[in-house]
Amino acid sequence: MNATERTVHIVDDDTSFRAATSRLLRASGFAVRSFASAMEFLERRDADAPGCVLADVRMPGMSGLELQAVLARSPNPLPILFLTGHGDIPSTVRAMRDGAEDFLEKCAPAAQLIGALARALDRDARDREARARHHDLLARFDTLTTREREVLGHVVRGRLNKQIARALDIHERTVKLHRSAITTKLRVHSVAELTRLTDEAGLVTLPAPPFP
Amino acid sequence: MSWVTVIWPMIASACLTLAAIYWLVWYRHRASWAPLFLALAAASTTAFTFCELSWLRAETPDDFVTAMRWAHVPMFVWLVSIAWFVRDYLHAGRRWLAWAICGLCAFSLLLTLLTPQNLNYRELPRLGQVQLLGESFTVAEAAPTPWMLVGQSAAVMLLIFVADAGVTVWRRGDRRKALMVGGSIAFFLLAALGLSIAVLWGQLQVPLVFSVLNLGVVAVLAYQLSGDPLRAVPLVRELQVSEAGLRESEARLSLAVDAGDLGIWIWDVARHEIWGSDRWRALFAFAPSEHLNVHEVLDRLHPDDREALRQTRAMAVAASQGGRYQAEYRVILPDGSTRWLSSLARVEVDRTGQPVLMRGTARDVTARKHAEQETQLLQQQIAHAGRVSLMGQLASALAHEISQPLGAILRNAEAAGLYLQHPSPDLDELREIIADIKKDDERASQVIAHMRALLRRHALDMRRLDVGALVRDVVALVRADAATRQVTLDVDVPGDLQHVRGDWVHLQQVLLNLILNGMDALDGARMEDRRVSVTARLEDARLVAIAVRDGGPGVPADLLPQIFDPFFTTKPNGMGMGLPISRTIIEAHGGRLWAEGRNGGGAAFRFTLPIAEETAG
Repeated sequence: MNATERTVHIVDDDTSFRAATSRLLRASGFAVRSFASAMEFLERRDADAPGCVLADVRMPGMSGLELQAVLARSPNPLPILFLTGHGDIPSTVRAMRDGAEDFLEKCAPAAQLIGALARALDRDARDREARARHHDLLARFDTLTTREREVLGHVVRGRLNKQIARALDIHERTVKLHRSAITTKLRVHSVAELTRLTDEAGLVTLPAPPFP
Repeated sequence: MSWVTVIWPMIASACLTLAAIYWLVWYRHRASWAPLFLALAAASTTAFTFCELSWLRAETPDDFVTAMRWAHVPMFVWLVSIAWFVRDYLHAGRRWLAWAICGLCAFSLLLTLLTPQNLNYRELPRLGQVQLLGESFTVAEAAPTPWMLVGQSAAVMLLIFVADAGVTVWRRGDRRKALMVGGSIAFFLLAALGLSIAVLWGQLQVPLVFSVLNLGVVAVLAYQLSGDPLRAVPLVRELQVSEAGLRESEARLSLAVDAGDLGIWIWDVARHEIWGSDRWRALFAFAPSEHLNVHEVLDRLHPDDREALRQTRAMAVAASQGGRYQAEYRVILPDGSTRWLSSLARVEVDRTGQPVLMRGTARDVTARKHAEQETQLLQQQIAHAGRVSLMGQLASALAHEISQPLGAILRNAEAAGLYLQHPSPDLDELREIIADIKKDDERASQVIAHMRALLRRHALDMRRLDVGALVRDVVALVRADAATRQVTLDVDVPGDLQHVRGDWVHLQQVLLNLILNGMDALDGARMEDRRVSVTARLEDARLVAIAVRDGGPGVPADLLPQIFDPFFTTKPNGMGMGLPISRTIIEAHGGRLWAEGRNGGGAAFRFTLPIAEETAG
């Protein structure tokens, strides 16, 4: 894992706190980028940069919780870790329900903060890997023709070639050709593997004519 | 029986009686010298009458001359008495002239007594007889000496003196007196002078009868003098009436003084003396008979009140003639207890504006003062409770304000710990960290000091203060809360606005309360309306007006009259004390707090504060 992947984005309106935190995190081996407000972060961040966000809940303008909502809808939803001056229970509950990585007091010990950041960065790395694999998978599925997709829909539902040929009103040999094209394109070796990949890609909406 | 021997003794006895009466008048009531001089003049007329009778009946020139010689003594007394009578009775006539008359008369008398024979004639006169009204009188025939002029010029001088005094009195307006006294004396003097010149120099053969003229003068003067007591009678009656009135009004005054429980005092400024009624002395715990000067009284005053009282008095003196002033001050009694007095006084000043006399009353207002102080204390306690409740509303925002610097300090300290693990730590970085830690510590301390000031129990402490700084301080306190609630705070206070006189903490409380109310009013408002503005302007020459406006829905017209009532609230968790407390605070400052509806929605709360004088601290 390289340095840019361990970037912490600090979003806090308090200049002094921002400076102190970035000092600590740099000394602890993190790459740090700091932003004075949520808006500034959204405007200036690299669109697909890895890392995590360390944000104050209470900020003028866009609050931490609003930032969390905007971030979650973005293509690069970095994990967000909240800081708060005091135990604000309603905010905490809402933040955690909406998938906050963690919720720390501003005065939490460094070890706790660094531990939480490390977890958040690991999660980002994991999420990023999952997103990449998923992306790759979708790209493979994209190479299939419409007919091949129709055939795949029947195959993952466990139908036999004969049944598929009848349903699609094509020759059984043509079905076989389509099946071999699909396994080649998706780089799979068995129907079980094909079913698992289709599941993973989330392509549950493949055209599936009713069983006659 | 000869009528002369009857008339002359009658003249003498009449004069003697007058002399006795006026001597008694003078002796009993020595208010004036006039009766004494009149008595002397009358007595001398008696003596003169006998001398005159003996020369009118003289058988030999020797008898004649001797009688005439001794007549000079009563004549001297008569002239001098008349001169001083005029001076004393008319309060007119030149003093030097009176003394000159005395001197000249004394000189003439001395000459007569020292000359062996007589002053009037060069040689013993030949005597003759003159028939008048069936009686024969002795007359003398001889050439007069020039020395006689001395005595006659004294008489002329008296004439001038009396005429001069008469004119003065006439001019003064007392014409009757001038005519009676000046006129009668002048008339008889002229007659006497004419007679003596005619007889002595003109050799006219008539008897020398001066005593009738002297009697005339004495009689007129006696009549005039006796008129005075008569004229005094109605005056006495008037005096009695006015005295009764005076007694009545004094009785009323004393009733009022008793009813008001007033002590009365009079201060003679020039002599530094103070007279006080018994009640006033009791208020200051002075003995009823003690002699008091100003310093003893001032020593009883509470040291804190002396200067204020002096200034109030100086202002009253400067304000105008007969300026009055009112003051409340404390008196420390000898037993150490304190008494509050309220004093109302008038100052009398002389032409140069210097105070001459002060008259005043003093009243014990200790009970009222204690009640006021209790009310004030209660108000302060309520205000304090209001501040505690405001702080409660701000608690989470303030906790955030404190945790920011505390968090920064912790992070810096931890970072420093990590730097120090290096074999060669970056000292510059460490110095920077320490500087930052200090700065953040100060920031946290400031917030805490702010809160502590607002949470402390606190009596009104009036000072000259800058409205801009006051508003900025309050805005700093609510900034975090405003940020969380997405409210923008606008402050518009001109930099050159006059300073006001007030209590920093209590005015902050009012502003905090109004701003928090304004932010509460914005719950549910659209983003562009979420503003609270604080503006300050000069209202007039005496007042500064401060307004807190919000973009909320405003106060409904039907609620406007009630919003300043205690326990009236529209908020679910409100106490309904914020606005009543704020109004009490502003009124204690001598200002006013009111609400205004606004065109285009929103509420505006405005209050005024008195401008501080330049010199005030």
